[in-house]
Amino acid sequence: MKRYLVFTPAAVATTILLATRCGSSANTSSNNDSSQSTGGSTGQKVTLEFLQNKPEVVNEWNSLIKDFEQQYPNIQVKQINPPNTDTTLQADLAKGQVPDIIAMGADATFIQMAKNGVFKDLSGAPELQKVSPAYVKMLETEVGKSTPYAIPYTVNAVPIIYNIDLFKKYHLSIPTTWNQLMQEATKIKQEGGTPFYNGFKDAWTIAPIWNALSTNTEGSDFLKNLESGKTTFSKSDVTAADQLRQFVTLGQPNQFGVDYNDANAAFANGKSVFYAQGIWTIPVIRSDNPKIKLGTFVVPVTNDPSQTKMVSGVDSLLAVANSGNQAKEAAAMKFIDFLLQQKVAGQYATVAGLFSTVNGVKNADPALTPLQPYITSGRVVDFDDHYYPAAMAAGNQYESVLQGALSKNQSTSQILQQLDSLYQSAAAHQ
Amino acid sequence: MKSLRNSLAFILMTVPMAVLFFYFHTWPAMHGIVLSFTNWNGFGPYHFVGLQNYIDLLHDKQIRHAYVFTFEFAIVTTILVNIVSLMIALALNAKIKLSKTFRAIFFLPYVLSTLIVSFIFNFLFSNLIPSIAQNLHLTVLAQNILGTQWAWVGIVIVSVWQGASFNTLLYLAGLQTIPEDVYEASNIDGASTWMTFWRITFPLIMPFFTINMVLAAKSYLQVFDQVVGMTNGGPGTATQSNTFVIYTNGLGGGELAYQSANAVVFLIILVCVAMIQVRMTRGREVQF
Repeated sequence: MKRYLVFTPAAVATTILLATRCGSSANTSSNNDSSQSTGGSTGQKVTLEFLQNKPEVVNEWNSLIKDFEQQYPNIQVKQINPPNTDTTLQADLAKGQVPDIIAMGADATFIQMAKNGVFKDLSGAPELQKVSPAYVKMLETEVGKSTPYAIPYTVNAVPIIYNIDLFKKYHLSIPTTWNQLMQEATKIKQEGGTPFYNGFKDAWTIAPIWNALSTNTEGSDFLKNLESGKTTFSKSDVTAADQLRQFVTLGQPNQFGVDYNDANAAFANGKSVFYAQGIWTIPVIRSDNPKIKLGTFVVPVTNDPSQTKMVSGVDSLLAVANSGNQAKEAAAMKFIDFLLQQKVAGQYATVAGLFSTVNGVKNADPALTPLQPYITSGRVVDFDDHYYPAAMAAGNQYESVLQGALSKNQSTSQILQQLDSLYQSAAAHQ
Repeated sequence: MKSLRNSLAFILMTVPMAVLFFYFHTWPAMHGIVLSFTNWNGFGPYHFVGLQNYIDLLHDKQIRHAYVFTFEFAIVTTILVNIVSLMIALALNAKIKLSKTFRAIFFLPYVLSTLIVSFIFNFLFSNLIPSIAQNLHLTVLAQNILGTQWAWVGIVIVSVWQGASFNTLLYLAGLQTIPEDVYEASNIDGASTWMTFWRITFPLIMPFFTINMVLAAKSYLQVFDQVVGMTNGGPGTATQSNTFVIYTNGLGGGELAYQSANAVVFLIILVCVAMIQVRMTRGREVQF
């Protein structure tokens, strides 16, 4: 999905490294600018700063960059992977130093940047023909303009991941309705097991399940009506909040004291049957326990299986900064062309555990096979929070509200009132 | 002639520093004050909105909560740090074996980065303490304290553990300034240890007490690293300090101008607190 605030000592080390690296790379790139304007030859070496927001695929990107640099010796790509992409980008913007290529989620920060003309307009670019038009449209809808400012590269999905061995041990079958899921979870709990393992110490980990619940129950016009003041969270999200509270009662006892990393490790080591997280977490789980057998199914939010849609958003989009430097923008497009080759796109999507938007590329992972039909037939719905105002969605604001309310076991109406007041104050500072 | 050369040397030494300080500190601060009267979100166009940001601050529940948390945290931590560090300083000042080694050991936490210390304690609170508590069947402690309403206690513990070292150093310096003969005199008069502390030691290290209180209060009102490293403001907004809100909402949430206004208000409050504190404690200092 987006912004993993994975604060580990390693992340700190990278921050410190980055701080020093950014300074030096800014120098080298400005040197390049001046040498290009004087020399004017395209044979000059171009250095591209490439920001991507997923700490778990840093190595994969490095190896892709290596392949690319071998094909194009004149272009050098420097990967930047800050622990808090939102904040880093906003600071870069304030300084007027945006990375040349950005791979990020289609979140509020992206929308805000696209609206403000930070990215190059890609209308008419041949690259757009290579990817699924549905997701190109999704990005345009999010920005609110019929101009493509980015190319969707990989898309994610929010299913429920399950441990196949434990699933068999409790003699469960794939639930297709909310009631069935709750019955199975209750049964696991009664037999002394843990149905769901949650890493709610990191507030954002509530977002996937919240989005699955809210998008399926609040009605398709909710966001439009919210903006025009016709509805509120308190009016439309009662079902979602009720279901979320029910869901929390089936988590492990210290769910608000465990962070994302520890929750992944616990689930990987068989501490629970189900794990309600996005598919981006599957590679992490497998690296914690390479032997685990995983399966997935779409979150059965409603009691009518034919109505359930899967939450799927653009996990990584590729956008080029409007730098005004022709050589850099051309080099950036070359990098994007390289990434959109079926072989490269398939390789990246498999390693990242995501679905590729590139036409004809399918994810071969058996754990993800049950979800592919939803992607192919378009039974998907975008994340709600991509449309929340920036001050509400960025920096884990609304997730913190949910985290605080759920950890204090507050009522449905108390939860929704807090979301409403957060929405109002965020919309006021837009 | 000589005085001219002297002043030239002074100018050469101070001016570059003053320029750097102005450019990297004073200028951004002034820039922030100007921005606080606009509706800038960090980039793009903006216009002046007068005092609107300051008026909105009064009604912002999140910010009010952040101020309350910051002050509660600062008061508790400042008091605890001073008690703990004075006790350590008294113990280290006694004529015991290896006192130099102990001084070095007790100063060690100050050398470590706050963020690193926070991450280490974060690990202890989330993994080590709950698993020990579980084995001892202490259900109260089996939860990660940072995920409960007591998360602030965890932050206080880390702040005191790390902060006490520096204040201990200052208190030790203070204790060494007390001449031996005053203690001898109080000994001859038959004063108890308790009496000696309250009547002799404490008044004589009063200047150090003042500076320690001011320094501790100042740094704990600006608590940030510990929050980022341990709770990220959670659970919910329970441990969001004011500096944390300024940083996350200002830079991450597109409220740059609004949080600049918050920062200006916070600056004024910090200056007032420091002035009141210096005035209150100065009257009680004694000379010998």
